[in-house]
Amino acid sequence: MTVQTPPRRGADVSATALYCYGVTAADTASPLPGAGLGGASVEVARFGELAALTSAVSAGTVRARRRDLLTHFDVLGTAFEAGTVLPLRFGIVFADERAVVEEFLRPRQDELVGLLRELAGHVELRVTAHYREEAILAEAVRESPRIAQLRAATRGGAAAGHPALLELGELVAAEVQRRTAQDASALLERLRPLARRHELDQEPIEYQVLRASFLVERDRVARFDAALEEFARDNAGRIDFKYVGPLPPHSFVSLGDGGR
Amino acid sequence: MAIATQGTASNYLQRAPSPSGLADVVDLILDKGLVIDAYIRIAVIGIELITIDARIVIASVDTYLRFAEAVNRLDLTQTEAAGLAELRDGGGGNGGDKAQGVFEGMKEKVSGRD
Repeated sequence: MTVQTPPRRGADVSATALYCYGVTAADTASPLPGAGLGGASVEVARFGELAALTSAVSAGTVRARRRDLLTHFDVLGTAFEAGTVLPLRFGIVFADERAVVEEFLRPRQDELVGLLRELAGHVELRVTAHYREEAILAEAVRESPRIAQLRAATRGGAAAGHPALLELGELVAAEVQRRTAQDASALLERLRPLARRHELDQEPIEYQVLRASFLVERDRVARFDAALEEFARDNAGRIDFKYVGPLPPHSFVSLGDGGR
Repeated sequence: MAIATQGTASNYLQRAPSPSGLADVVDLILDKGLVIDAYIRIAVIGIELITIDARIVIASVDTYLRFAEAVNRLDLTQTEAAGLAELRDGGGGNGGDKAQGVFEGMKEKVSGRD
């Protein structure tokens, strides 16, 4: 889809606009030569204690190619090594530096400064847990006599169209769902005490036990690692994990309505 | 940032400093992060081309039938004989392979939500 960039106020239309990656504290912000979208340099737009990380893009539209998305992510990651960062969602552009300050940093100053303080010293850790299909299905067969019975009755080449197949599938689905709820809450119970906040991705995805982000103090990351490690060991062979971080707090930033 | 490179010393778990796939990056930067307001959120083209290979669970006859097939495909004698130890070593076959899942239906990420 294509949407026009906001109309410029009073100024003549120029060929460039400023793409904005995120906000950081003015005292930790520094330019990143050549690191921005399309190889442009990441510059710093300052206002008081705040600094927005920006780079020039062609006005009109921003492409979201693979490398553009990764660039956005990487700029934030680099800035995060120097200090607290408030990541913006991909695809936010201002007319020029004045607009970054007047339409964003100034009207949102208090909120942004508050978020920077609140999130200082914290990282986002992202946890995704998936069942191994074969393991979880085997559990369902072993522990539900009815599933085992229906499976025995419907196995083999002649099973297609067998009326019991539907009942079997429904029972297996329910069993997987039941285990998912159980394992997800057990996992959360272990991790939640070590995190300041957490955000669950709610979409039910096949064999996914949990997909969530945790806001964790830097000096508690090792304990978080250990807790997740222990859970992973207890569930070895049945649940696989993807564990990513420390990331800037993508999942833990939001602004209230208004402020413009 | 010292912890960025310090993984967990574990056979069961590795913490990676950044996502391994584009889908996970998309998850973070298109769904999350500060949004200022509709006036400033711009024009993004190309995002509609990005799809995430994630099959959403939908209660349907099709889903149930595929579940039934998956459970019937299962070689229980193997998993039972081998026991959990073998599963731990990944000896259970294709269990960990998402592409072998019983669900279908692609979830698409589309741009333009304000």
